Amino acid sequence: MILLKDQVAKLYNELSEEYNFFAPVKEKGFIAYRKISNPEEIELNYFNSKIPPKEILFPQNEVLFEFKTDGKNVVEIEDRKDLDEKNILFGIRPCDAHSFDLLEKFFAFGDFQDEIFLKKRENSLLIGIGCNSPKSTCFCTSIEGHPFQKDDMDIFLVDLGDNYLVEGISDKGNNIIQRLSWLSKASKADVKKAQELEKKAQDLITTKLDLTNTSDILESNFGNEIWKEVSENCLGCGSCSFLCPTCTCFDVIDENAQYENRGRRIRIWDTCQFCLYTLHTSGHNPRNSNIERCRNRILHKFSYYPLNYDLIGCVGCGRCIQVCPVNNDLRTIISKINNIKTNEENVNV
Amino acid sequence: MGDIESENQDIENSIKELARNLLRDKEVDVIIGYTKGTVPLSSSPVFITREEDTDKLLWNNLCYVNLANYLAPRIPKLYDEEGQKLKVGIVAKGCVGRALIHLAVENQINFENIKMIGISCNGIINRKRIEKEIGEREILETSILGNSIIVKGRDFEETFPFDEYLNELCKVCKVKSPPNVDDSCVGECLENPVIEDDFNDISDFESKTSEEKWVYIKDTLSACTRCYACREVCPMCYCNLCFVDQNKPIWFGKTTDFTDIFAFHFNRAMHLAGRCVACGACSSVCPMGIDLNLITRKLEKIVKERYNFTSGMDKETVPPMMSFSMDDKEEFMMEED
Amino acid sequence: MNEITSESKQMKNTDDEWEPKILAFLCNWCSYAGADLAGVSRIQYPPNIRVVRVPCSGRINPYFIVKALLDGWDGVLVSGCHPGDCHYLTGNLVARRRFGILKDLLEFFGIEPDRVNFMWASAAEGERFAVLIRKTTKLVKKMGPNKKFEKKW
Repeated sequence: MILLKDQVAKLYNELSEEYNFFAPVKEKGFIAYRKISNPEEIELNYFNSKIPPKEILFPQNEVLFEFKTDGKNVVEIEDRKDLDEKNILFGIRPCDAHSFDLLEKFFAFGDFQDEIFLKKRENSLLIGIGCNSPKSTCFCTSIEGHPFQKDDMDIFLVDLGDNYLVEGISDKGNNIIQRLSWLSKASKADVKKAQELEKKAQDLITTKLDLTNTSDILESNFGNEIWKEVSENCLGCGSCSFLCPTCTCFDVIDENAQYENRGRRIRIWDTCQFCLYTLHTSGHNPRNSNIERCRNRILHKFSYYPLNYDLIGCVGCGRCIQVCPVNNDLRTIISKINNIKTNEENVNV
Repeated sequence: MGDIESENQDIENSIKELARNLLRDKEVDVIIGYTKGTVPLSSSPVFITREEDTDKLLWNNLCYVNLANYLAPRIPKLYDEEGQKLKVGIVAKGCVGRALIHLAVENQINFENIKMIGISCNGIINRKRIEKEIGEREILETSILGNSIIVKGRDFEETFPFDEYLNELCKVCKVKSPPNVDDSCVGECLENPVIEDDFNDISDFESKTSEEKWVYIKDTLSACTRCYACREVCPMCYCNLCFVDQNKPIWFGKTTDFTDIFAFHFNRAMHLAGRCVACGACSSVCPMGIDLNLITRKLEKIVKERYNFTSGMDKETVPPMMSFSMDDKEEFMMEED
Repeated sequence: MNEITSESKQMKNTDDEWEPKILAFLCNWCSYAGADLAGVSRIQYPPNIRVVRVPCSGRINPYFIVKALLDGWDGVLVSGCHPGDCHYLTGNLVARRRFGILKDLLEFFGIEPDRVNFMWASAAEGERFAVLIRKTTKLVKKMGPNKKFEKKW
């Protein structure tokens, strides 16, 4: 199917009544995914958002429930009521779409089902767009991804210049496409052009990271000297993890309303780089310095994720590479890890 | 102004030579400097212990991190295996030197263990401004030619005038090389600097009404994601437990609601009054491109006008927040009409 | 603190004529005694202030003031001994340095400068205390309610 570029507004009008329509907009000089109320806000000429779209399903501050008190005791708990709302996430990049899979694995791990996230995920429809021109910091192809990866989406679009080639991937997506009867048919030339673009985009990704053995190397090199080297210039800020589409750590806090006997429990993003992370009540912190904190970030993505979910916990979007204040490049770190001689004696740091 | 490119080359050569000498003469154990970043518009702090590695050192107009930060971090790094303090050589532009001096005033470091490789900084590029103006095009390469910054991408090339695209703080910087204290400075340094500043650059903002200021501050700060990169990169933010991390009691919220963002930035500014050395690192590293330079300038101005103090110029003057005087200005105190 | 806030809530509800609520930090040795003297001498002053007694104006951390504004107080007042009269010799001088910076910075961030006020009042100045409370109340009232820090709920 073909969606003309000036028909995006029509698409919005048709779907926005039933769905909360999230799309990339330009905000303070950067791209961000926001719930829009006017289709003209949509900005489709973009690489990727600054803050990943995980903030739609897993916002930086999220109310878990609200409560009322009689001044001393909690008398009533109010659960979230907006979880049944349906969302459309329009214009998601393939790497970010893949991150939702990883997030889902995390929030549904073992016996602990995070209802809030999972419900929202279930009610969300992903309309993704392939990357015609990936950035030089992108490395999704190293993580079995692809700039035109469609598996994680419901509907996949390819930017053909004047119009989009529309492809339904999931049943949910196909149902939507059927409703949009005004979509025109795609010609063979269109499909061919999409394939050419796909090939071109893939060639543009020049970073190739070898991640085949990384997980094994990491497992046996917990105490390696390399962590000291890797964390040497790290400042301990949270920009890499706050802008990472797969980072999931959060902190839970209570807030009280001013002058009223009510409050709410919220969760806010946390990161392994902060000093309060894993701080015990006794005052002891097993991750006391940058060395352990940096190690945790890398291990979490490239060792614990493979162990627990059989997937690499990184999607190759390259955001952390662009944003690190001291340019502590993930690509360099990975290649340093791969260079660890496997027979080397472990040295305790 | 001369040719920026050759200036940079001269500075870089002198850094390399001084660093090599210091390491060879065993005057220091480690050199902290800058090396080339892997992405455009960046540089990376580097620790060098071997003489032959000094070639990695570099100077360009993107060395925005204040290296003094590594000498007074929350968790000290610069110790050898036996726990002995390492002797450090540090590439010091003016603001790095000022930060070191102020840290010494606050008894955080001791110049006995420190050698400053003084250089005369020729300004740091406002990378966030360039990034924003380039927008959704990818920068692949930046270089400096004559008096302009050239930014190249896949299918574009843009030129920015160097003088205009400097950090706001660098434009008004009066301390390009580190002030010399305890003879710890090799290379270029200032002896007994006296600086005059008129703070004209913020008078526009100051003349706005409260409402206008509030709108601007709210608009600028609300992009904050609370990643605390500004705090972590700041050499003066060395508290073991920052006030926003305190949870007994929780003073201020941690959410990204504007009230909480305001509380963080306002109180951080309060804490930096009379301490901030105007290096501009906080604005350079902010992932959301928030410009904190105005606040920094205002802090400098308040402290200069009220208490006639400029941070990090010498080791003897007591900072204003550590002292008091009977004759302090008190025009703000309420009086009967 | 709970009592204070529930009382303030009642004040907020009388909308006939809006009255500001002002949090006043009074130092134990001068200003608190000054307020006492105003009371004993039957000098009238507006009932808009809620007093928190602190040992010294030097005890005032800028957090207190910012936190009060964030919590919705329409104004904050800090009162201590006159310079040179501090019970702890120099507590108020240390405080004065802080207040100078705080006041300038609040203004720079776009908070109306009259929301936060500082004054000196000795134990013998009941009259002055009342006059300045009247003045503060007038200033804060003129600015209207503090709406800048309403948290999204």
